[in-house]
Amino acid sequence: MQDRKTDITLSVETDIKFLPLVLSFSESSSRIFGLQDADALKLTLASEEVFAYLCRMTKDPGKVTLTMVNGFYYALLTVAFEGIDFDPRAFNLTANVSPDEEGLEEMGLLIAARSVDRMSIFHNAMEGTGFALIKEKTYPAAEPWRSEEVPRAEGVTFGSPDAEEIKVFVRSIAGGYNSFVYPQDFRYPGKVVDMVESGEYGVLTARDPKGGIAGGMVWRSSGTSMIECYGPYVFVEEGRAGLAERLVAELISAVARSEAVCLMNRYATDDLPPGYFETLGTIDFALAGEKRPWKFLFRQLREDPGCRVYSHAGMEDFLKSQYKKHFLARQIVPVAYEGERQNPHSVFGAAFQHNQDLVVLLPLWDGADARENLARHIEALRAEGIANILLRIDLGHGWQARLYPVIEAGGFTPSIVIPYRGKADCVLFTLKG
Amino acid sequence: MLNVPLTTLVPEYIKKFEAYIPSRPDPELMKLYQVDHLWRLNNNENPLGPPEGSARIIEQFPPKRASIYPSGDSYYLRVKLAERFDLDPDQIIFGNGANEAIAFVIKAFCQEGDNIITADKTFAVYEWVAEFSGFEARLVPLKHFGFDDEQMLARIDERTKILFVCNPNNPTGTYWDEPKLRRFLDTVAGRQIVVVDEAYCEFVEAPDYPDGMKLLKEYPNLVTFRTFSKMYALAGLRIGYLAGSRDVVDVIRRTCIVYSVNGLAQEAALAAIGDDEHVARTRRHVTAEKSYLLRELAALGLETHAGEGCYVMVRLPMSDTLVYRRLMAKGVMIRTMTGFRFPNWIRVSIGVHDAMEAFINSLGEILAEGNGG
Repeated sequence: MQDRKTDITLSVETDIKFLPLVLSFSESSSRIFGLQDADALKLTLASEEVFAYLCRMTKDPGKVTLTMVNGFYYALLTVAFEGIDFDPRAFNLTANVSPDEEGLEEMGLLIAARSVDRMSIFHNAMEGTGFALIKEKTYPAAEPWRSEEVPRAEGVTFGSPDAEEIKVFVRSIAGGYNSFVYPQDFRYPGKVVDMVESGEYGVLTARDPKGGIAGGMVWRSSGTSMIECYGPYVFVEEGRAGLAERLVAELISAVARSEAVCLMNRYATDDLPPGYFETLGTIDFALAGEKRPWKFLFRQLREDPGCRVYSHAGMEDFLKSQYKKHFLARQIVPVAYEGERQNPHSVFGAAFQHNQDLVVLLPLWDGADARENLARHIEALRAEGIANILLRIDLGHGWQARLYPVIEAGGFTPSIVIPYRGKADCVLFTLKG
Repeated sequence: MLNVPLTTLVPEYIKKFEAYIPSRPDPELMKLYQVDHLWRLNNNENPLGPPEGSARIIEQFPPKRASIYPSGDSYYLRVKLAERFDLDPDQIIFGNGANEAIAFVIKAFCQEGDNIITADKTFAVYEWVAEFSGFEARLVPLKHFGFDDEQMLARIDERTKILFVCNPNNPTGTYWDEPKLRRFLDTVAGRQIVVVDEAYCEFVEAPDYPDGMKLLKEYPNLVTFRTFSKMYALAGLRIGYLAGSRDVVDVIRRTCIVYSVNGLAQEAALAAIGDDEHVARTRRHVTAEKSYLLRELAALGLETHAGEGCYVMVRLPMSDTLVYRRLMAKGVMIRTMTGFRFPNWIRVSIGVHDAMEAFINSLGEILAEGNGG
């Protein structure tokens, strides 16, 4: 088994003479952690672009620390730095880099972002400031599978499956359920095994006395405050409802004393028993030309202590009605832009879920060009043919709540409040038309 | 302004923890939930208040005494309790609530690689303190709502240091009778420390309920926990204690924080000891109100579970955390049980009759309104 503790670290100065060392570090360490040639080279390219960018941005050499982390199903390269300024606008999906000298400096970051599966900026007291680049391993897709012998609900025991059982479980889901009710990772059983090993996924199965998998549930941490779950997936013919309820109760018990405060069921099946989740709302979702309702199912894992949220006057009525409907005690603090100085450039992150034909936009950086920037994103996503465009803001950040007029002007309508999804509650906006 | 270099100052294992955020004070909750009253049925507090003697001490506590350090090891309390339980005062250690005593014991006996054993659905603090301190908490599922002695024994290995038994169990109210506890202690045979948490012992009237204090002479590896927070209604002053054999307690004392119990708490607790009339009055109240509560809950068609202790478990047809919010909006605060690994159950403390009625009426309305989700 690979040991997650074996992170590999390199510290260098922002001097281009160290570039060969950085490249060698990135390539070798990503291969050690299991990336195949093509994937390792892409991550190496990303590290080259980021490091070269940092060297160009620094007048006096500063310290850069590269850390390669074994994520089991991915390699994560963090590039942390101190005392270097940079313009983050190049992280925008739609960054339009001009061919002048200044623009070229930022071109490298775009190349880096497109070379990896996920790229983000971090800036906080614990981690410092820097870039996080993730390249996932390539896994073979598996054929859906259905057991010839139907498992039984009687006498099941609940527990964590081993690697081979996880693969059987995942294949059984693909064999028994529509792809709309499970994440795309499930198409790759080996990936799910590695995701469980990395601690990113949790899996709970019910085994019948003969060892057959009668059902199960999967969960995934989504930040520290939220856990997403999927299922219940039930493979028995008789006693489905009872088994489904036991699976849900077992899952909730498994995560009840975690750090998370909320549980959302992102992919609920028809077997989900009533009474365990609250419906926050439903979004009409377009998939393969059909309209499907996407129910937002939620439950708290702890007693709600209430919290303070920021709100622009434009969405206060919506928030009040949602809080009343769901009995959520909130202190609403009004915010508005009042002529204060703003950064010139904003950043919106775009999280793609290709199998759902979905993009969720997230404001990452406040800036004076937010309205134009958001409009560019919508235009680009529509041009890509993305059917479902959502936008999410965190009401724990005053600057995000203040963006409401920009979001409204972009054609978005507030649809659902997700309690404690971020620093405080989040609002999910849908795009009109 | 100086930047604190938290990236280097904070140990990696601390970076992974989220701070525990306790409930807000009642006035803040009332403001948030827009209610003008709040029935507290969440913490198993004694609605009758402290014994008369303690109440008098609290009322008459001279402000000037606040400037004087208290006894660092609750000397007079230990002497009085030792007389009552026929122990040596040095067999007793006081803490700022029994939670502190849990930390003392774990710190005294566990080191890297060690484990503790307890139940999965019990008071969470044994598990939390162990896990936060970097020790494995082995959780044995309850059997018929009670601690499973056989499975607990089966989970012991060479790195097991402490077994925690909550007797009666919070929240299920089940208890081990004396023969069962003796069998357990005999099988452990002194190889590990056995903690029996008797926080609710004064509420138990069953004749076969064991008195841990009496067993200390026979079992030198036994440590009992007791508190003044529940029966004696001194929760706001934070005072609890542990007792064990002299040798074991001498070890635990090495990890203790002295002066952690304030002077008012010590004096109020001293006045509470031996007030059997207070205990009898509280028991009568709990019995009457528990009976009322169970009858009304049955009329609402709800499954309940009630054993010993000043609380009742109720199974709901909807999320317990949703019902918490809806009850709060009606001025009633209960304990959700998802955190006890009983999803969709709540625990209701026995309060004054008006509070019990308010709870039943509010819950009835919520059930009539439906899930709302």
